[in-house]
Amino acid sequence: MRILVVEDDDIAAEYVRKGLMEAGHVVDLAPDGELGLEMARAADYDAIVLDRMLPKRDGLSVLEEMRKDGDATPVLILSALGEVDQKVEGLRAGGDDYLAKPYAFTELLARVEAIGRRSDPTAAVTKLKCADLEMDLLARTVRREGKNILLQPREFRLLECLMRNAGRVVTRTMLLEKVWDYHFDPQTNVIDVHISRLRGKIDKEFDEQLLHTVRGAGYRLQV
Amino acid sequence: MRAALVKLYRNTLFRLSLLGAVFFVVALIIALGNVYFLTISSEIRQVDKSLAAEVEEFQMLLDKGGLIPVNREIFLRSGSGDRHYLLTSRNQDGADMVIGSLGEQVVTLINQEKAIIGEEGDANFTKVDFILVIPETDTEPASERRMRGLSGYLQIDGKNVAAVVASRDVEVTMRTAERVKNAIFSSSAIALILGLISSWYVSRKFTQRVEAFNRLATDVRAGHLDRRAPRNYSEDEMDLLAEHLNDMLDHIDRLMKAMRYAGDSIAHDLRSPLTRLRTRLETAATEVKDPKAEGTLFAAADDADQLLKTFDSVLRIARLEAGERREMLSKLDPKMILDDIAELYEPACEDVGLTFTSEIKEGHLVSADRGLISQAVSNLVENAIKYTPKGGAIHLSLLKNTEGLSEISIVDNGPGIPKDSRERVKERFVRLDVSRSEPGSGLGLALVDAIADLHRASFTFEDGPPSEDGTRPGLAARITFPRLRKQKQPHLASPLTSG
Repeated sequence: MRILVVEDDDIAAEYVRKGLMEAGHVVDLAPDGELGLEMARAADYDAIVLDRMLPKRDGLSVLEEMRKDGDATPVLILSALGEVDQKVEGLRAGGDDYLAKPYAFTELLARVEAIGRRSDPTAAVTKLKCADLEMDLLARTVRREGKNILLQPREFRLLECLMRNAGRVVTRTMLLEKVWDYHFDPQTNVIDVHISRLRGKIDKEFDEQLLHTVRGAGYRLQV
Repeated sequence: MRAALVKLYRNTLFRLSLLGAVFFVVALIIALGNVYFLTISSEIRQVDKSLAAEVEEFQMLLDKGGLIPVNREIFLRSGSGDRHYLLTSRNQDGADMVIGSLGEQVVTLINQEKAIIGEEGDANFTKVDFILVIPETDTEPASERRMRGLSGYLQIDGKNVAAVVASRDVEVTMRTAERVKNAIFSSSAIALILGLISSWYVSRKFTQRVEAFNRLATDVRAGHLDRRAPRNYSEDEMDLLAEHLNDMLDHIDRLMKAMRYAGDSIAHDLRSPLTRLRTRLETAATEVKDPKAEGTLFAAADDADQLLKTFDSVLRIARLEAGERREMLSKLDPKMILDDIAELYEPACEDVGLTFTSEIKEGHLVSADRGLISQAVSNLVENAIKYTPKGGAIHLSLLKNTEGLSEISIVDNGPGIPKDSRERVKERFVRLDVSRSEPGSGLGLALVDAIADLHRASFTFEDGPPSEDGTRPGLAARITFPRLRKQKQPHLASPLTSG
C-alpha cells in the first residue's frame, strides 16, 4: 500500500515510516497540516495516518477539507486525545479509525492495514474464505473441510473480524472495539480466553492451525 | 387545585405582595372609615347635641314658669319638619296629660343607651333609636322612619314632674350612612381581589425569571457550562443578577477550558515522548538476538504502557467528575450491558478456576451510558477475579432492590474489604496493604465511583457470602441507580436482546 504519514514529531514519524516500510508499504512523510493536505491532494494514497495536533493546520481540519473535496482515502487518526467523545468527534469528521498515543507499532500497522483494505470492493462480500475455512455471512454458517462448525453469535463475530483481516494481525484492542464495542482495555486476558475457545472449535480437530497468536501484538488467521 | 394553592403560597414574592395588598386594604378601610366618621357620624353627633340643647331648654322653661310653657313649646314644635316630641305629665286633677306627635303614632324602640346631658352629666336621660311609623296621608303612603331621640324626666327640686322624649327624623342620614358603608365594604373587597390578582401576577412573572436561574443552575451542574441566563437588558436587579451570573459562568468556563487545554497539552506532550520510548523499546526488542534482553525490553515497553494508562485514568476520572459526559446519558435497559459483560467474563472466570453465575433480569430502565457502565462493571468483575482465590465464586446480578431501584451487584466470596476501608478504597491511588503485591494502579475503584457519581447512582460495598470454610467474608459491590424521572415517553436505546 502507499501510505501518507502526517506527523509533526519527526522521531515518531521516522519510526512509523521505518516500521511500515519493513511491512512492505511505500511511505511518504508530511511534517505539518498544510503540507499534509497538499500531498494528500497531489497523490493517490491507499491510506493516510493523520496526527490530530499538527502545526499550521490541525488534523481534523485537514480531514474535513479532504472529505469536502470528495477524497475518500481511508484515514487513521492518531492522537494523544484518547477520550471516547473525542474519538467520536474524529470519526464524525470522516476518520475511518482512531488510535490514541501511545500505541504499540503493531497496533498501528494492524489498523492501517485494516482500513486500507476496507476500500477494497470485496468489502460487500457475503462469503469469506481462508484456506479451507468458509464463512457464509448470510446463512451465518461456518464450514471447514466441508464440516459444519457451530459457533455462538459472539464467536461468529470474532471469527468474522479475523477472517475479514485474514493474513493480517488483529490486535486485542481492535477485537474489543469491533466485536464487543468496548473502548477500554480490560486488565485481564479476557480476549485470549475467547480466542482459545474459538480455536478449540475451528482448529482443534484439524491438522493445520489457522488461528495464530502473534507475540506482543494479537492474532492472525493464516495458512 | 389544593397543591397549586400551596405552591403559590410557598412562593416568597406571592407572600410578600399579598402582605402588601393586605396592608393596602387595611389602609383603605381606615381612610374610608375616617370619611364615615367625618360625615355621617358627625351629623348624628350634631343631632345628639341639638337634642340635648332642646332638653336643657325645656328644663329651663320648667324652672322658670312650670309645665305650661313647656307644654306650649312642645305642642308648637311637634310635627314641624323632622321634629317629633312626647311629653307626659300629670295635671292638677291627677290625670295623665300627653302632648306631642309621638303620642299619636306607633313607635318601635330599637336601641337605647345612657345619655350625658349638660356639663354636670345629668344621668337622667337616655339616647333612644326607634322607628316611627307615619300613617298614610293624602299625598304620601305610610312610611317607617328611623328616629334619634333623647328621653328622660324633667324635674323640679329633684322630683320628676314630666317624662319627655325629643327626637329627630334621621332616615335620610341613615340611608346615606348605609350607602357609605356599602361603598366602603365593596371598595375594600375590590381592592383585596385586585391585590390578590396582582400578587399572583407579580409572583408568576418573578417566578418565571427565578425559574430560568434555577434551570440554568441545574444545567450547569449537569455539565452544560455553555448555558447562560436569559437577559432582557432592562438593567433591573434581576437583569443585573443575570448579567453577573453570566459573567461568572464565562469566567468558570474560561478556567475550565484553560484547565482542559493544559490537561490535553500535558497529555499530548507526555504521550508523544512516551510513544517514542515505547516504539524504541519495541524495535530494540525485535532486533536483539538475546531472548533475555528481548523479554526485558518488552517488559519495559509494557511499563511505558502502564504509565500512560494510569495517566489516562486520572484524566478520565477528572473529566467524569466535571460531569462532561452527563449529556451523553440515554435511557436504556442495563440488561444488555450486563449480558455482554457476563458473556465476556464467564470464560475468563472458568479459565482461572472460578465459578461464574449471573441473574440478569429485564424490565429495568435507567439513564446511563453503555460504555461507562460497561467499564465500571468490568472493573468490578476484574477486581473480583483478581482477589477471589481459585475455587471461589463470582455472581453478577441485575435486580430491583427492596426500594424498587435497579441495582447491579458483583458478589464474590473472596477476602472482602474491611468495613472501615470501604470508603477509602474509592479514592484515587488508595490501595490496601493486602493488594499492594497485585498489579494495578489504585484507580479502578475511583473510576467506578466517578462513573456512578456521573449517573447519580450510589456505589457501595457490603459483606458478600462468606467462603465455605468461613475464612473469607466475601464482598458485594453494588451500583444502585436513582429512580428515573418520568418526563418523556420512555424509549429503549436498543433492543432488549443481546447477540
